[in-house]
Amino acid sequence: MADIVYAQPLKELLQVGTYFKEKLILLVNGEINYQKAKQSEMIPCLVLSEKDDLNSIKGKRTAVIGGSIKANEFAVRIKADFLIQPSGTKQFFDLGLAQKLSDNGTTVVLMFEELMDANSFERHAIWKNYIEVVSHCKKKNTRFIVASGCKDPLHLRPRKVREALAVTLGLDTALAQKYLEELDELK
Amino acid sequence: MKIEKKKKAIVPLSQRERKRYILLEILNADVAEKDFYFGFWIELLSFFGSKGLAEINPRIVAYKENKAIIKCKRGKETELIAGTAFIDKIRNKKIIINPVITSGTIRTIKETAKVFVGKTALAEGEVKAEQEVKESGKKP
Repeated sequence: MADIVYAQPLKELLQVGTYFKEKLILLVNGEINYQKAKQSEMIPCLVLSEKDDLNSIKGKRTAVIGGSIKANEFAVRIKADFLIQPSGTKQFFDLGLAQKLSDNGTTVVLMFEELMDANSFERHAIWKNYIEVVSHCKKKNTRFIVASGCKDPLHLRPRKVREALAVTLGLDTALAQKYLEELDELK
Repeated sequence: MKIEKKKKAIVPLSQRERKRYILLEILNADVAEKDFYFGFWIELLSFFGSKGLAEINPRIVAYKENKAIIKCKRGKETELIAGTAFIDKIRNKKIIINPVITSGTIRTIKETAKVFVGKTALAEGEVKAEQEVKESGKKP
């Protein structure tokens, strides 16, 4: 079982992660943090933006934080492993993008922390947009998961809850389980 | 004139609505039963709305030692588990709610939790209430 989180107090994150029997995929910025995370028991993942040097990312797990048309296109261009938050209160995700992501084997990730931080009006818009994202992903067989995406270890969510959230968004139960299991195979 | 008491119509077992029981574990802080009840309802109500919550029909069956048994309509357990993700604080105490097991019978849940073996929290409450009634009846 695996969950995607941001790098913060590693010890506490590990404690909670071990209780839930989850592997943690750490999102880090920069080469130094990547090497640090590699030394811990977590799986590092490099967060990239358009300004970053793309020559040094060979053989590394990469993620792109979406939320705009440019960022989503960038994720497609570099064939990132994860596209995080492709849309927020505004929708930037369509069928074409879903098809490209499916071809590249990119996983679309909804960070649950984003929902928690939003107020009730924003939460409604985000929820609506992600229902659309899931329906597009289902049509094009794009992988979709819900991750905790937390900075505070106490905001980690157990696997059953994340699975239930994905199902509530419209994903089939079997698919939600399968996509999370595929994350476990990462090393 | 005699007043005849009418017996309550009992719905046969086969015709009753099917339920699911979920065992929830509250981690990181000790939460009192009343506080949990309040926090649980507030968060679920804000997420599902009154109509959604009525469809799920959740009930707290028992609460003991930071473990709660929740009853809900069959087929709605996934939604209920998803809703519990939004409960992150109760009385300013940060908590994590972990759904341990979902079952069709309360017996399986009690066997898993072990805390509820014997009398449940609610059953104990009922016994206390009965005792109080008896005691008050004895006194003149």
